Amino acid sequence: MRKMLAILACKLGYFVGKLVGKGSSLPGKLALKLCPDILGQVKLPSTVIAVSGSNGKTSTVEMIAAILRADGQTVIYNKEGSNQIEGVATTILTNATLSGKVRADVLLMESDERYAARTFRFFRPTHFVITNLYRDQLTRNGHPESVYDALRPALSPETELVLNADDPLSSCFGIGRDNVTWFGLDRCSYSVPTPTGVYHDGAYCPVCGGVMEYAHAHYNHIGAWRCTACGRERPHTQYAATALDLQKGVLTIDNAVTVQLAFRSIYNVYNILAAYAVCRRCGVSADTAAGVIGNYVLKNGRMQTFRLGGHHGTLLTSKHENSIAYDTNLRYVQDCGTACVVVVIVDAVSRKYFTSETSWLWDIDFDRLDSPNVKRVILSGRYCNDLAERFTYSSLPADKWEVVEEIPAAVEELKASGDDEIYVLTCFSDRDKFLTLTEREA
Amino acid sequence: MNLTILHFYPDLMNLYGSYANVTVLSGLLQRLGHAVEIRNVVPGDGVRFADADFVYMGAGTERRQKFALSDFRRHADEIKAAASDGLTMLFAGTAMELLGESVTDADGNTIPGIALAPFQTAQHAKRVVGDVYAHTELFPEAVVGFMNKCGIVSGADSPLLSALDMGFGNEAEHGAEGWHKHNVYASELTGPLLVKNPKLLEHVAAALLSRKGLTPPDAYPVDAWARRGYDVTARELAARTGGKA
Repeated sequence: MRKMLAILACKLGYFVGKLVGKGSSLPGKLALKLCPDILGQVKLPSTVIAVSGSNGKTSTVEMIAAILRADGQTVIYNKEGSNQIEGVATTILTNATLSGKVRADVLLMESDERYAARTFRFFRPTHFVITNLYRDQLTRNGHPESVYDALRPALSPETELVLNADDPLSSCFGIGRDNVTWFGLDRCSYSVPTPTGVYHDGAYCPVCGGVMEYAHAHYNHIGAWRCTACGRERPHTQYAATALDLQKGVLTIDNAVTVQLAFRSIYNVYNILAAYAVCRRCGVSADTAAGVIGNYVLKNGRMQTFRLGGHHGTLLTSKHENSIAYDTNLRYVQDCGTACVVVVIVDAVSRKYFTSETSWLWDIDFDRLDSPNVKRVILSGRYCNDLAERFTYSSLPADKWEVVEEIPAAVEELKASGDDEIYVLTCFSDRDKFLTLTEREA
Repeated sequence: MNLTILHFYPDLMNLYGSYANVTVLSGLLQRLGHAVEIRNVVPGDGVRFADADFVYMGAGTERRQKFALSDFRRHADEIKAAASDGLTMLFAGTAMELLGESVTDADGNTIPGIALAPFQTAQHAKRVVGDVYAHTELFPEAVVGFMNKCGIVSGADSPLLSALDMGFGNEAEHGAEGWHKHNVYASELTGPLLVKNPKLLEHVAAALLSRKGLTPPDAYPVDAWARRGYDVTARELAARTGGKA
């Protein structure tokens, strides 16, 4: 009875929420209040996939859903921003009958890495994809190893793990298990001999503290690693990118499947591999999966194009407090080779308060902007002084970067002159402060 | 003058932009006309403290902190002798905990520290996170930073920050934070500490220069961005202390 009431309340709450445009975690919260173990009482589909990790969750979930649907399966999943237990409950219960049967072939969930243990107390996924674990929102998460410790209890021994072989930390989830599917990127034209970036989180083995060595790296400490002390090394992969040409935008998986990339970023390649691997494990053919991934344009709006005066521009959404997200976008700007102006905006790190914590700015490899194609850099937002102090110690010559504190002033200055491509690097939280002052492209 | 900085375990104790404390100190000393050599120390290295003008170690995860301690312990006697001799040192983040008598991890395992300082650290699964607005007896300006740790430090007899208007100190909300004796500075504040606090940076530089027999300048070359960044942060945090600042 309580179960039915909770489901009904959730459905009703969701319907009302939709009318008034409210978020999707509230109905689930209400249901959990009425029946705290409701998630243990519903009948879930035979396939339940969870996706967690520091970066790439939303994109990976979106691609998994698209592939499974192309395979003819019905999929339900939670949308971005509702990845804690309440949001997951909303997704499950709004798609359940009043008797508690979830109407779908697959339940797919993006799960917050720190709260996954709470979500998966009442049911366990059949497959758990972990994209990676690295420095992300440390003011909330502490550090990557504390996230590792928080996520570990969410992984039931019976759940099949789909793990990134190239990440020394999240690969530790596979220690002592044989139900692991590994994905990774083989050496390719994009590989570099050693890890990149300001800090080196792959320098020492996360298990024994021994010195690690790399056969190659793809970005930061993601690559082919091996501990010289305990011998632990990058696991053998079941699903691998065997060739990659980012210039042409061509990715080859398992020497057999060729995919044209809509978004030519190394990041995207790992998200594709994660999605491909778990879908293949769920019985999808290589051709079906490749057919969907080929030229797949993500709908989550991480890249937005606009016009401003004589300029064409692209806003690359990074995440504040996430140096690897910034590094990836900086590398994108550097590799594109287009003559450009770069705008870095750090205006609100937290929605709630101003923080003294700006150490993450020092973890970002801004030296990548010291590239011939980058003509000029503008630093803007409330934290522009902290950014400027960071840039003082970058390799960029002082005449290449300038500070324009107010975002509208930066926009006006750009509008008034020049026609170079503009790249804007900022977070979701600050994105619209810039975009609303431009002419958006569809 | 040639000045030498020993940076302990830069790839192991590297959380929260720790290296930047060395970057800005080195930058200031260079602007004062000195040549600065930064020597990175990795586990297993032999270290000559006699050559050093500044010793630094930054924050690491609790696992990495243990890996660091297993090597750092080899240098305990020399560190203690150098500290008594007035060598300037900064231990930021979890590096501070290594100076004490012991570190007990969240599982209850206790390992001895180098016992330069009389405190003990007890780590917990729950982390302490939040902004800090504090005062030190070293200079009148407030100290700003962010606390992100899981260790409770008890018995720190001579704290670096004597009064906190906002945030969690060594062992209590609003309690004293860090440790300071001779020219050894230790604090678990991130930011990084010397980046966010130009006055503390100058104070540490002055200690270093004085020991070298140099007269610290009356006025330091101003890093306008650091100064403005500090002003904005101090103003914003002070406004949130509820009028205590």
